[in-house]
Amino acid sequence: MTATNEWAANHECEVLVIGSGAGGATTAAILAEAGHDVLIIEEGPWVDQGEVVPFSLEQMDRQYRSGGVTVALGVPSIAYTEGRCAGGGTEVNSGLYRRPPEQAIARWQSEYAIDDFDADGLLSICEEVEAELTVQTVPGEHTRASEILRDGAAALGWQHDESPRWMSYPEGGRAVDGKRQSMTRTYLPRAFAAGARMLTEHRLDRIVMSGGSATSAELSTTATGIDQPTTITFKSVFVCGGAIQTPAILQRAGFRHRVGRTLAVHPTVKLAARFDETVNTPDDVPVFQVKEFAPGISFGGSASHPGLVALSLIDNWRDFGATVTAWPELAIYYAAITSQGRGWVQAIPGVRDPIVTYRLTKRDRALLGQGLARLALLMLEAGAGEVYPSFKQAPLVRNRADLAKMTAAFAATQASVMTVHLCSTAPMGENYKRTATDSFGKVHGATNVWVNDAALLPDAPGVNPQASVMAIAIRNARRFADERAG
Amino acid sequence: MRAPSTLSTPMARFADALLAVDLPALPVDPRRQTVSFIDERVQTMPSVPRFGVKAIGIGVDILSKLAGVDRVISLVTKLPIPLLAEYPRLIRSLAFAYIWETWPATQTDGAQ
Repeated sequence: MTATNEWAANHECEVLVIGSGAGGATTAAILAEAGHDVLIIEEGPWVDQGEVVPFSLEQMDRQYRSGGVTVALGVPSIAYTEGRCAGGGTEVNSGLYRRPPEQAIARWQSEYAIDDFDADGLLSICEEVEAELTVQTVPGEHTRASEILRDGAAALGWQHDESPRWMSYPEGGRAVDGKRQSMTRTYLPRAFAAGARMLTEHRLDRIVMSGGSATSAELSTTATGIDQPTTITFKSVFVCGGAIQTPAILQRAGFRHRVGRTLAVHPTVKLAARFDETVNTPDDVPVFQVKEFAPGISFGGSASHPGLVALSLIDNWRDFGATVTAWPELAIYYAAITSQGRGWVQAIPGVRDPIVTYRLTKRDRALLGQGLARLALLMLEAGAGEVYPSFKQAPLVRNRADLAKMTAAFAATQASVMTVHLCSTAPMGENYKRTATDSFGKVHGATNVWVNDAALLPDAPGVNPQASVMAIAIRNARRFADERAG
Repeated sequence: MRAPSTLSTPMARFADALLAVDLPALPVDPRRQTVSFIDERVQTMPSVPRFGVKAIGIGVDILSKLAGVDRVISLVTKLPIPLLAEYPRLIRSLAFAYIWETWPATQTDGAQ
């Protein structure tokens, strides 16, 4: 192990990697294995898998930014979460894996003029990632909440499938036996084995620039009891802080061109469905997804801890609250859309955190309503006795007649909208008018500053973006290493 | 175990009063513990939303002293004013998540 939170006034390295999530960990591993002297910095702590209960408040306290209370302002505002720990979002997300859709790759290449970017190359890297993370389907028994999605979709004749996960299972293991193959178990140990070092609980305050070159980074520690700054000097820097922090870091360093202007997300609306049996598995999420209306609308299952069940009912607590005591019979599901709206991330001088906004379009709002109605129908077909939509003044749905009332009553502005897939705040490509970096993540106008995380994706891919992020990060890191190898 | 809140901030006072209305049977100790949790979570929020929450909290606190906390709670939970309406929603979200996560057998009225 070469991760430490110990303070020192100065560090030196050849390549500084800011952030240790899906982009940062892969970048560090590829560059270290190519012989570069790599130092990774991570604002959050190192938390081993299994130390905290997945999707619990303790996990939110220790591994999420701001305890999970983060929001993109708008009408409606959209709640989102960011990992803030070694391994970033890969430590806390659902672990559902989807390759980047070939249509998305083709669209990104053509609209953003990305050089040397094609499906064959990217999907070949995906195969490597899948082997490294032991991406697979559940070998044994599924959770009941997961089967409900499959059964409801099958009853309606809707397309559905099981999303593979980056999990390892014992032979014939059940869904709940999986062990998440996150960055702290895979690419970070690989980076360490190749000589990379890692500083945890160190927050980047700013990158010091000299002309178009970054020369050093100034950090403060987030560990308690130390109030001394740290300076790191480097030759090159990769910013991999995720779609919210990366643009804020770039803006503070003086980079503005197309930075933080095109935040893309998959907005979701939720409902809780009650069955006449125990369906709630608090520590796991359903793996089946319904793709009948994809890429516009997709359905899946969410974490359903009792606290999250209560949360799903609060918009109509007076009418729905009584059911909270039956939380073992309830599970939460979501309808996610591909949004035409966009958001902003803006760093404000003297303020620690950026301000984040997001605007749903009229079409987005309509799609969220359609998604919720179809999801409620699926739940009824799967045998739900009662469906509780998460928007203010929603009716309780027990049958198809109630569905019509729900559809009429839905307003996105009254819904609890949230997202977990954030991307596209520093898009890549040679189309200068639309991009913040070149085709391999080098920031326009910089000589030694790269971005290598979800911020590079030109738009939201319509599926879980982790595979897309990892494949692109590996591609770009290899390019960097190859160029320096001559 | 989280230390009970001393209700020393405007937000804590509003949260305590809101919980007394929403979950009237929630005993005082868990209620104060919940308020303490909310207070801590608000302190860790990103800068701009945290500033907004605190500003609304101060405004609501002043109004509560003038017009009575029950009337103010009734007002801010019913008026569909953007941002203002988010204030009780945020507090409820944090509170309910904490209560049912910590004491999953809690009844709808807060009884334990």
